[in-house]
Amino acid sequence: MKILVAVDQNPYSAHAVLEVAKLAANTWANVSLLGVLSKTDTKERSAVAEAPSGLADNPLIKALFVHRGTFLSYFKQKECPYTSKGGPDELAEIRKGVYQLVHASKSAKKKLNIRVRTGNPGREILSEAKEEESDLIVLGCDHMKGCGWESGATVPRKVANDAPCSVLIAKAAKDVKRIVCCLDHDRVSQASLEMINQMVSLHGAQLTIVGLAENQGLKAEVERKLDNILRYYHERGIDPWIEMVDIAFLDSFVARDARWGLMALWMGKQSILEKAFPKSKLDKLIKRSDASVLILR
Amino acid sequence: MISALVSLNADLASSIAFRYACRLMEYIDMRLQPIHVEEVDKGSFPPGSGWVRSTWEKGLLQTAEEEIAQLVNAEKADCPSLDATIVEIGEYDEALLHEIEEKSYDLLVEGVLTSFHGQLFHRKIRSRLYRFSPSPIIIVKNLVQPDRVAVLLKDALDVTPLISTFLKLFSTPKASVDLIHFAFKESGKPEIKEKIQDDAVPVGSENACKLLNTAKDLLAEKGWRPKETWVIRDTAEKISEFLSDYGLIGACLPRNVHKDSLMLDLLSRIPSATLLCKK
Repeated sequence: MKILVAVDQNPYSAHAVLEVAKLAANTWANVSLLGVLSKTDTKERSAVAEAPSGLADNPLIKALFVHRGTFLSYFKQKECPYTSKGGPDELAEIRKGVYQLVHASKSAKKKLNIRVRTGNPGREILSEAKEEESDLIVLGCDHMKGCGWESGATVPRKVANDAPCSVLIAKAAKDVKRIVCCLDHDRVSQASLEMINQMVSLHGAQLTIVGLAENQGLKAEVERKLDNILRYYHERGIDPWIEMVDIAFLDSFVARDARWGLMALWMGKQSILEKAFPKSKLDKLIKRSDASVLILR
Repeated sequence: MISALVSLNADLASSIAFRYACRLMEYIDMRLQPIHVEEVDKGSFPPGSGWVRSTWEKGLLQTAEEEIAQLVNAEKADCPSLDATIVEIGEYDEALLHEIEEKSYDLLVEGVLTSFHGQLFHRKIRSRLYRFSPSPIIIVKNLVQPDRVAVLLKDALDVTPLISTFLKLFSTPKASVDLIHFAFKESGKPEIKEKIQDDAVPVGSENACKLLNTAKDLLAEKGWRPKETWVIRDTAEKISEFLSDYGLIGACLPRNVHKDSLMLDLLSRIPSATLLCKK
């Protein structure tokens, strides 16, 4: 599993890093911490152009190293699969506009990369996820300011909408007491089931699986899938609740159940959730709700 | 040993209800009788009469039997005391009422998925089956462990029917039971959520405690002692949240419950299984 954590120098990013550390402790995923330097910041641009190693004083780069420390401190030293033998904390340009920590965990069992890209944050995060074939992008956001990033109010929403893989928008506003997963189709991947399983155990949360219905009834294939999912989780000692929600009431349901802390949406390519939950509604959920949002693709 | 009828269709709600009923056998000494009623669409008429009709009915029954057998066989290993499934063609409520009356079952178990706004639950409670069933009914919404039971008491009329139903089903104390006196919060009044310790009576809860003590005495006659006793006054939403950790909630409903009843609202919000008896 490859997790891409997009960060900046704000506290919401520290929260996202900690969430990923918890997830990584269970999954031993390969993790990349990515910071994006804005091209519009001429000072930073010239610094990057002149000498990547001279970036050490840049607040974002400093923050990246702090985040790496936060991530590693979650593990006991001997058990940490990400600990490398060390080397200079130096960034090298691996291709135009993309920088990486020179010794980045070469000797470790699992990768913990530190990457810096320059450009538009939303676009660069999506490019990195595509190039590295990430399975999950995690990013925090400032829930007091409509879940924006300091460098761009729409970054988390753009990533959530356009990413080719699953995305977790981790908000610090609420403890996750219950994970509410909405399902409207029968093409749920094993990886996404496992992802929910991990989230349930690392938050000690309960789980509700929501079947989306049309005209007060679930499609037979959705019912069968829900039954399979139920059995899958029972075998793992999890007793999920099942709830049926008519698509017409999806908005009010989401508004009510976002209080539990994490709303997950299984959005397949042919998913009717894409119709029932178009970009504008997904934006609204990310922007206005206190709950973290997990989009499973 | 009590006899329970479990109504099955080839759907998710029935699959959950069936598995819950099997789990319930760890706590209740019961024999489980599965039944499936194959409903013919209203407005469509059976073809012909005599041989044509009987062949058509046989075909319907065979298909239904195969579907239900799949569901039952998948769980059979966990359900030792299981009788052969009864499969009938007919109107659902009428067929079940007839079966319950004829064979005097002690309990009906049925699955109803939780739905936003509780539409399915409301419809079920107001159905002919629920209004006229001579036996108590367990509505299963989710597959939970029925090891913790909450008995919900609202007024004095609830105590005898509810406690006697509970004692009839749970003849031996294998599960734990809590007694909960509840009231719906009126505007301007404060919420209450108090665990009653020993014989202490909180100010303002004298009537509730009296009623809880009557229930305790009835339970004690059969060797039951509630693990916890609570007095709660809050909104239906908050009370249902409090009750969500239980594996079974016992409650009384009048035979003709009004659709705007707060009690109905409360029960529709509870995600656990609900044991309903009439008062």
